[in-house]
Amino acid sequence: MKKIISLILLFIICLGIVFCLQDIPFGAAKTKVGHYYIDNGREETGATNIVTSVVLNYRGFDTLGEVTILFLAAIGLGAVLATLKKKGKRQIEPASLILKTGCRFLFPLILLFGAYIFIHGHLTPGGGFQGGAIIASAFLLVYLGCRERKINEVANKITESIAGLVFIVMGLIGLTVGGHYFLSNFMPKGEINTLFSSGIIPIIYIAIGFKVGSELTGIIDNLMEKS
Amino acid sequence: MKEKAHVKNSDLKNFIYLFFILFVIWLVLTTSFHWQEIIVGIFISFILALYLHKNYLELGLPKITVKKIIYFIMYIIVLFIEVVKANFDVAYRVLHPKLPIKPGIVIIKTKLKQDIAKTILANSITLTPGTFTLDIEEDELLIHWIYVRSEEEIEATKIIGEKFEKYLRVVFA
Repeated sequence: MKKIISLILLFIICLGIVFCLQDIPFGAAKTKVGHYYIDNGREETGATNIVTSVVLNYRGFDTLGEVTILFLAAIGLGAVLATLKKKGKRQIEPASLILKTGCRFLFPLILLFGAYIFIHGHLTPGGGFQGGAIIASAFLLVYLGCRERKINEVANKITESIAGLVFIVMGLIGLTVGGHYFLSNFMPKGEINTLFSSGIIPIIYIAIGFKVGSELTGIIDNLMEKS
Repeated sequence: MKEKAHVKNSDLKNFIYLFFILFVIWLVLTTSFHWQEIIVGIFISFILALYLHKNYLELGLPKITVKKIIYFIMYIIVLFIEVVKANFDVAYRVLHPKLPIKPGIVIIKTKLKQDIAKTILANSITLTPGTFTLDIEEDELLIHWIYVRSEEEIEATKIIGEKFEKYLRVVFA
């Protein structure tokens, strides 16, 4: 009996969904703006990666907001964890040889890979956020593998602040010099599909890479040290 | 002790080694010899190597020679073949209705001295399905085995470790 009722209910729900979705044309674009980006993004911004051209050029202001949200999350976490009492000195149990060696060997290589991702943000998939996350993962590996080491918190904060400042200053320069909106591309766009192209986009992405990397590292540091 | 003192004296060697590794990886990642890529690659490799080169060679990284590169490539091929073979073996054990497993932990010995060599050996053993490195203690590797063929240390070393180790011994000679 139960099964029959649930089958009937499932049928009703299916019917409802089918009727609801019938009116929406499948596969057709609902807005025109998407096609505009695809057709003109390359020429207008000089970035081969269309996602990047949207994230940093057409919607650059939103990206500033996203970075700020991450910043606030890091600060909030720090504030919450700061109220916790410290349970004496953290017990440091040395990591196994495999983890320790792997950490020491891979740390520079992961940093290089993160840098590669955010420097090539306008050419290949990826960008500042992804590169920053990769860099933070390298620091997480240090916390797991070489447990006696600590990151320099002051340097971390300074890096984060400078990166944020670079972002905003570039945007303001764009506002005053280049055009009539925040983050307008005032630098020469260069030859498409080369590393030094698409004006301010690589610079902004490098700044975002540093900012996200240092923010996430700060979060990891907070979680590891204070809890 | 002697080796450590020797390493400490060669900061420049550390730096050049790390710089070289980083730059090669950069070239592999970009797969382009455009002058802009090369300039940025040199710049980043230089900065990273400048800050992180300290004691890098202490891990026991080998000198790079043609022979060692060839042996390392052979090692990678052997590792690949072993991984495929072990996959079939484990799949057979899982799918067999009688489940012919005999799990257990064995100790194997390694003659490799350097930390990085031991790590590579341990990771290749972990990468092949069926065997799993739990820990390294001096020259002994603690290994969990899905079907313990031999509890003897020498015999187990021969079955699990030797096929990788004979190449790694040349690379890290």
